[in-house]
Amino acid sequence: MSWLSAARTRLRLVFSPRAAESRMHEEMRFHIEMETDRLVREERLDPEEARRRALLAFGGIDKHEEALRDGRGLAWLGGLSLDARLGFRMLAKYPGLTLVGGLATAFAICAGVVTFAMVTPFVKPTLPFAGGDRIVLLRNWDAQAGNAEPRALYDFTAWRETLRSVTDLGAYRDVTRNLITPDGDARPLSVAEITASGFRIVPEPPMLGRALAAADERPGAPPVVVLGYEVWRTRFGSDPTVVGRTVQLGDVYPTVVGVMPRGYAFPVSHEAWAPLHPAALERAPRKGFPITIFGRLAPGVTLEAAQTELTMLGRRASAALPDTHKHLRPQVGPFARQFYDANGADRAAMASINVFALMLIVLICGNVALLMFARAATRESELAVRTALGASRGRIIAQLFTEALVLGGVAAVAGLAAAQFGLRRWGTPFLEVNLGRIPFWYDLRLSPGSVAYALALTVVSAVIAGVLPGLKVTRGMGARLRQGTSGGGGLRFGGVWTAVIVAQVAVTVAFPAVAFVEQREMVRIQSLDSGFPDEEYLFARLEMDPAAVVSGDGEAEREARKARYGASLEALRQRVAAEPGVKGVTFVDRVPRMFHPEYRMEMADAPADPGPPGRVPTMAERLSEVSVASIDPSYFQVLERPVLGGRAFQPADVASQARVAIVDRSFVEQVLLGRNAVGRRVRFAAGPKPDGSPGEPEPWMEIVGVVEELGMGYPTHHHRAVGLYVPTPLATGAPLHMMVHAQGDPMALAPRMRELATAVDPTLRIAELQRVDEVSNPLLWLLRLWLRVTVGATGIALLLSLAGIYAVLSFTVARRTREIGVRVALGASRARVVAAIFRRPVTQVGAGIVAGAVLIVLGALALSRPSDCWNCPPEFGFSLRQIALLVAYAAVMFGVCLLACVVPTRRALRIEPTEALRAE
Amino acid sequence: MTIRPGTDALRGSLDLLVLKTLSLMPVHGWGISQRIQQTSKGILEVNQGSLYPALQRLEKNGLITSDWGTTDNNRRARYYSITAAGRRALDEERESWKRFAAGLDAVLGAT
Repeated sequence: MSWLSAARTRLRLVFSPRAAESRMHEEMRFHIEMETDRLVREERLDPEEARRRALLAFGGIDKHEEALRDGRGLAWLGGLSLDARLGFRMLAKYPGLTLVGGLATAFAICAGVVTFAMVTPFVKPTLPFAGGDRIVLLRNWDAQAGNAEPRALYDFTAWRETLRSVTDLGAYRDVTRNLITPDGDARPLSVAEITASGFRIVPEPPMLGRALAAADERPGAPPVVVLGYEVWRTRFGSDPTVVGRTVQLGDVYPTVVGVMPRGYAFPVSHEAWAPLHPAALERAPRKGFPITIFGRLAPGVTLEAAQTELTMLGRRASAALPDTHKHLRPQVGPFARQFYDANGADRAAMASINVFALMLIVLICGNVALLMFARAATRESELAVRTALGASRGRIIAQLFTEALVLGGVAAVAGLAAAQFGLRRWGTPFLEVNLGRIPFWYDLRLSPGSVAYALALTVVSAVIAGVLPGLKVTRGMGARLRQGTSGGGGLRFGGVWTAVIVAQVAVTVAFPAVAFVEQREMVRIQSLDSGFPDEEYLFARLEMDPAAVVSGDGEAEREARKARYGASLEALRQRVAAEPGVKGVTFVDRVPRMFHPEYRMEMADAPADPGPPGRVPTMAERLSEVSVASIDPSYFQVLERPVLGGRAFQPADVASQARVAIVDRSFVEQVLLGRNAVGRRVRFAAGPKPDGSPGEPEPWMEIVGVVEELGMGYPTHHHRAVGLYVPTPLATGAPLHMMVHAQGDPMALAPRMRELATAVDPTLRIAELQRVDEVSNPLLWLLRLWLRVTVGATGIALLLSLAGIYAVLSFTVARRTREIGVRVALGASRARVVAAIFRRPVTQVGAGIVAGAVLIVLGALALSRPSDCWNCPPEFGFSLRQIALLVAYAAVMFGVCLLACVVPTRRALRIEPTEALRAE
Repeated sequence: MTIRPGTDALRGSLDLLVLKTLSLMPVHGWGISQRIQQTSKGILEVNQGSLYPALQRLEKNGLITSDWGTTDNNRRARYYSITAAGRRALDEERESWKRFAAGLDAVLGAT
């Protein structure tokens, strides 16, 4: 194995230099001795002379030894390891720079990696298994309506028979069902009703039992279910004998046939799998349930080829079924695109977030470069000596680069650790708050790609922080050497650095203002009054499982479901109201503090608007955003907020013919400008139809009562919401929220609520269960996260500004040692010297603070600009107190910046004239 | 015609000589220089010092290996021997050298 021995030799040469050296010496000694012996033997020389001749013939042992050392391939490595060692020594020798520069670089790398990790799943979603890029999604695109047509069971059956370029064609539909365990615990479960072929997509066998099989799809097959790992663990206590047991899923009792391994969640984020029964479902063209169709590209087939075949099938369908399929265009695309279906421009926008992160990194590294430059400048004599000894410019830059790389490497480790921690702690919740459930291929842990990206960032940071100062400090080094001065004005901080410092101070001043805005928003949301003691109320979102089998008659089906939903809710109301500690039960479509849809309304016989003086919005404008809630007639009574005028809803109002509404105080004051509301008639304005023609107007509703304002505004909306209530029956298509007024802690009722809901109807599930005052918690969480990021960024900016000012000043003082000494010697007063030193940093910090103030004012103006809503209060971004705080902060900042000048200044004042003159 | 690769002919020829010498039997460094001198009847004289960097280079490339051994008069010496890759390289080098020499001869013999 010659390559093996060669590799061994190389390793030995590189990594055990001592052994290689001693071998070299011994071999050469042996050679000289042999040659000496030969000369004594053959040429009869005396040993002394023979040895001399032997050495001569060998020719310069030192030279050959050097050649051998070079031949080991150690020259560059020796240099590099020397630089690296020097770099580590520098870390210890300049702890301030190590701390500041390292922290800043770590922050930059952390920010870059977190951004990269968060953005990548959106820009380039990929399924995390071999061949994942060949899994495709098929859909019908309605070219006329401009959206996808998900009711595609007909097409699925057709494609499954004819499509050649896509194999393992399957379909699923999302259903949520109540999983009721024998202990009575009922919780919603995200189930995929899926064809058996779905289990051939991800190459993972079941952990227990079997996956779904084609036989399970046949009509009349016994119901079965495959459980996900988490469900099996949490709901069945990791029971190894679960396979074969019957479980209750709503009102069906399937047998568990298998458990999938941990992490398996295909197609999206599903927790259990039941067979899809295409035969039992409505299969007429463009009828039935929405489904999602997937498959795998056949071996050797490209996406384009599959699209071509599909397009052909689509044309055939359009011709055969002009009524339904005239405008349908089948499409095929990567499977992972389904969750976040971004178009090219969106993706580019997402990717460009990385560019912002990169700009931040460049800015931060520019600052570190400033510090490194100051350090390099104080080491100028060392560098000059090295240059004089023959080090090339490239060699010195390489040294500074390596030093920066060492610092960056240490920072990268810290940054990656912080990124990992942050992604775990906040990344996934962040996506969940913003997007709801997260597909299984959104893996936010650090991927090898992210680590590689971090390494690239480290190199970039080292180039900026090492090479740039290196270039600057070595420029004209030769000339300075020739002039025989080791310093004395060759180096200067240019205008760029000054601009960087000024910008930095400006940002540092402006960032706290951003934090103030976020803080104020948080406090505002927390202190929002919903008009009733909402902490005493519990709400539960009540949903009902879809029917397992759908007959042909969709309309009758829906009506039956509505009736069942209404009956179940009514029964639940009775049961919950009978519980001890329950003061009242009511229903509403959207709980206070939730987002209420805003509608444009019209008013019959609208009162005349007051004249032009002082602009008052017109009636149409005032009615343009009315928040609407559908409530059970008992709503105001349970909230213990009786009507202020008129009457409350009565059970009879629920009948759809009785068109009545109740408005809140805000409606009276803002829309009617204080006039009486009861008796007036309003209606929803007719929206334009999809084809652009004006729609049919809705029937008029009579306002029968006025109530207090009860949390109709969404927390992030700044305008005072205008509220309108309409009565709703419990038998409705859209799910309702049950609100329960409890004595004591409302959450104590939660387990009992779940039990009761299941007891009333096993298909009735509680999708959400929370205290009403906690509705805004996710929003607050998000704001708090932003606040943390802002504060962190401010801290880093502050640290960098201070370090930058300190570094520049130290540098300047060191440069002006002689000048200061001479001035002091000539009798300049200390005040004058101090003023001379301070002029520059004071100007910089002052300019920065002014620029920051300008930024704040611009931001405040932007915030106070009247937005598109008519009744938003004109607001200036900040209160007087906050402005005072900002001014105080700027003053403190200024003081701290000046403090950074103290050490160098004292150093300057301590300079003795004699010392100063010797410094030359 | 392809002449030798970019390395200088002298270094290349030293490698060739070393490989050829080692193809007969394992020898130590001094022995190699002696053998070359003897077999070339004194025409080729290896610069003894530059022999060692050449040996190190060949060893690094896996063409030869080395091990400690003892000489006839009981001295510890580093013995070099050729590897299979070295033999292959020797054959190739010899071929290309022959072509090179033939080419050179043709040019020099042209009238």
